[in-house]
Parts: sequence; C-alpha cells; structure tokens
Amino acid sequence: MPTVSLVCEGFERQAAATGRGLGFDDLPLALLQGHVDAQSYDDMVVSFLAHTVDQIVAGLTSPIREPEEGTGDPSALDVVASGTIDDIHRLFVMNAWSDGLAIIPPTRERVEGFIAPSGHDPWRVIGTARPSGRDITVWSVAVNAVMAGCEPAQLPVLLAIADVLVDPHYGVEHSGNTTGADALIVLNGPVITELGFNHGPGAMRDGAGAPNTVVARWLRLFLRNVCDFTADEHDKATFGNSSRVVLAEDEAAIAEIGWAPVADEFGHPMGTDAVTMARMNSGLIIGSVFGSTPEQILPYLADGIARVSGWDLTHVYGLGQGHFRPLLVLSPVLARIFGKAGWSKRDVQEALFLQARIPAWRFEKLIGEWSNLTAGRRTLVDLAADGSVPTLFGESADPDRLVPVVTAPDKIVIAVAGDPNRTNAYVLSHDGPHGDWTSKPIDRSYSTDLVCSIDNRDACS
Amino acid sequence: METTYDVVWPKAPRGAQAKRPAARLDTLVGKRIAFAWDYLFRGDELFPVLADELRRRYEGVEIVNYDVFGNLHGPQEHELVNALPDALAMHRIDGVVSGNGC
Repeated sequence: MPTVSLVCEGFERQAAATGRGLGFDDLPLALLQGHVDAQSYDDMVVSFLAHTVDQIVAGLTSPIREPEEGTGDPSALDVVASGTIDDIHRLFVMNAWSDGLAIIPPTRERVEGFIAPSGHDPWRVIGTARPSGRDITVWSVAVNAVMAGCEPAQLPVLLAIADVLVDPHYGVEHSGNTTGADALIVLNGPVITELGFNHGPGAMRDGAGAPNTVVARWLRLFLRNVCDFTADEHDKATFGNSSRVVLAEDEAAIAEIGWAPVADEFGHPMGTDAVTMARMNSGLIIGSVFGSTPEQILPYLADGIARVSGWDLTHVYGLGQGHFRPLLVLSPVLARIFGKAGWSKRDVQEALFLQARIPAWRFEKLIGEWSNLTAGRRTLVDLAADGSVPTLFGESADPDRLVPVVTAPDKIVIAVAGDPNRTNAYVLSHDGPHGDWTSKPIDRSYSTDLVCSIDNRDACS
Repeated sequence: METTYDVVWPKAPRGAQAKRPAARLDTLVGKRIAFAWDYLFRGDELFPVLADELRRRYEGVEIVNYDVFGNLHGPQEHELVNALPDALAMHRIDGVVSGNGC
C-alpha cells in the first residue's frame, strides 16, 4: 500500500535510514519545515500548505525507483583496510566506525582469537539489529569487542547484552531518541568478582574499573556500527549523555543485609550471572546523606527521585503507560541503615513511593503543557477516571495535591554499589519503553555450537 | 619498520532483503486515504488542515481519521502497529499518510 511519512526536516536522514533498515531504499517522505513545536499555529499551517502538502501528494502518486540488487557491502572476512595503527585509527574515525578513542585493530586473527576460547559459532545470528536491519552475529559482537579493548573472557557478557538488544521489550530502535538517554548495564552474579568488575569506589566512573569501561565502550561501538546510531543515520539525540560504564552491584553487601540484587527483580535470583539494562536520562547525586535511621534518610532519597523526574513522566502516561522506572543507587553504608533496621528492599520501595511525590499541577504541566506529549491536555483526574493511571492520581481535583512519580512501589529500582563507606546515593531517570528494563542471563559455559570452521561459513548453518 | 594490520569490517550485512515498494496511486480522486498518527508534534492540528486541503483538491477523496487506528507510538504501540494491516484492509484504504516524526 502506498504510504508517505511526515517528518520534520531535521529527521529526513533518520527517516531514510529507518526505511533502509526495513528494506525500503526510497521511502517517500514529506517534510515539515523547521520544528512544529516552535511555530505559531498560523506559521505552521502556512508552511504546511505551501511546502508539505504537495510532497504528500507526490509521495502517494509519483513512481519511486525500484530497489537495487546487492549493497556493495564487504563480507565479514574481507580486509577493508591495511596500514599502521595510525592509518587504521584515522580510517575508522573517517568512516565513523570508531568513537575517536584508540582502538585495537580488528584483524581477522584477533577476532578469531577472541571467539575461539568460548567455542561459539562466529556466524550464529543472534537477531536483527533495529533500526539498521543488520545481522547481530557472534562475529560482529567480537569485531567491536576487539576494537573496544575487551578480553575474550568478557564475550559471554557481551552476548547477553546482545540478547537484550534483540528483545523487543528493550526497544533498542529508540536508542537515538530526542533526550539522548544512554544505556546503563547493571551486572550481577559471580562474574563480577571473577572477571574483576569494579563495584566499589568510582563504580560509575569511566576508567575506575577496566572491565566496566570496555564492556560499556563495546556497547557504544556496537550501537554505532551494527545498529547504525550515528548522527548521519539514527542518532537524533539533541545533546546526548556520556557513555555509562557497567554498574556492578556490591553483592557481598546485598547478601549481608538480606536483600536481592537488581537482576532478581527481573527473574534472575542471587547467584545468577545476569545483565539487566535500561536507557536512562538524567542523573542526580544525593550527596552527604545525614542520618542513622531509615526515617531520617528517606526524605532526602525520595526528594532526589522526585527532582530527577521531569520529562520522563511521559512514561507514566503519554509515550508510555506505567513504564517509568527510575534507578536509585545506594552506597553500601546507606543500604546497611535499612538492613540494620530490618527493612526489606520492598519496604524501602513502598516508603519511597509514599514520599517521592510532586504536586499534581506540576505533573500535568510536564506531560501536557510544558511539553506537548499528551494530546488533548488531559488531567490526572481524567486519566485516573479511564484507568490510564492508578486511581490515587485522581483522588481529588486539588492541583496542589501530591501524586507519585511512578505507578507502583516496585517501579523504583534499587541497586547497591559504590564506595562502601560513603553516605551518598545516585538516582537516574528512565526513558520508559525507549529502553525498558530487560534482563538476560550470562552463559559462561563452553559453547558446543561451533560446527564449522571460520573459513567454511556455509557449513555453519 | 612499523607493524601493519589488515582489518575486517566492523559493521554487519543487512539481513533484511530489499523490498519492492507498493505501486503508487494514479490519482487521489475518489480514493480512501488513512491518517496514521503517533499522537505527537501537533498532528491533531495538521491532519484536519490536510483533510480539508485534499478534499478541496480531489473530488470524492475520503479521509479515514487517525483515531480509527489509535496512538501508534503510545502505550499500545506494538499491538496497534501489528493490527494496522488488518485495520487498513478492513477500511478499504488506498493510501496512508503517517506522522509525525520530529
């Protein structure tokens, strides 16, 4: 069926790239000049009638060219460049294959050597990368891992992250969306200590733990090279966030107070190696927390969750519905205050749900006036009446009443990490279904799926 | 002499096959055109303008409005997008205008 897609002019290249990822090289577009959210109604309509309507008609009625045979892309084993390390570095930057930091040249021998200890079939297709339409294979994972400086022992962690990327629940195709949220990988299980991930001081700092840093860098390179999140194609982040290193939890502290790790909330109990990922927007430090009881420290923690929740409330209702799940990272000493008082993680979540609240007027302005993401300017009372949000959001029409920033206590995800003896917490807002919390187990057993040699690709399938 | 490296491609082939686009319409006269909206970026203001303009230009054009198909980028995105082919067939749609990507 003939279609034409309306996009603001700043999205023309992204729309074309999305079409390519779906197999359409010449998807008809009609451009809206400028950005409609910054135009008066009259200016918008004048521009629309003068420039856009003809493109809509043309998109539905003008012939479009037939798809071309073949892409001209190299095959996996083709040598695409030869040269010194400086030559390779410059070429990869020029082709937008690298983030600009130094890379390990991905020679065939290095990539083969990276995969070999795991026993994995290099040509196994894990899934299709969205929105690029490219294949996610063990080989493509490994090439970018070599570049990032990863160790072969980290391959199972990377493959588990790849499993997250192909899960529709995660929504990797949104990784270049407006707010520039970046993925946060939470790591649990014995893999943390066995592979040397840092869960202590500087747990979220670049370079504080080499495994935390290179695994996260691999994800950025993989999103760039295989999912095509570059500014020329799918990355439409207005500003973007710095890459986030892997957050490994302090499982000894968690066990000591009888809590469960983050992965447990998503089906992988304590003792299971697992990655749990979501895309996070803003981060906010809750510094120098003062108090020795849960009652004393909760108001400050709750205030942090309320303050970090702004645009993202569109994932309570709007772009998402009940999807907003902020992350609170407690230092071990703060977590022990709750543990010492006999509070479970659920107790903390319920207390935060009660205290992390904002005035209803502010909530409504954030989702439907200061932004224009909830069509029709619907109030929380309206939304509660039709079941779009829980009833407690619409218990009165008083604009000053306090309402939660999430739809249920368990929507607040809690992790424990960082300097064990510092009284600080960190909270991150969440991009809802544009990177929804998704967890996958890490299989570090020797794989038996290698049934072919790298040279004999046909035999692999 | 400095070491040189023969490197492989860090990207990956596209598994998705190139698809043949649907034939375009010869005219919009008398055709049924669906609006598919993501409930963002002022579609509620622009689609009525478009409907009026298409009716002015093309005799007998019929518009099937976006509310028939729901919010295609909201909480029910996946189920509504999956249901779209059947919905378009049920409403005997000839062409679709979708938006807005901003």
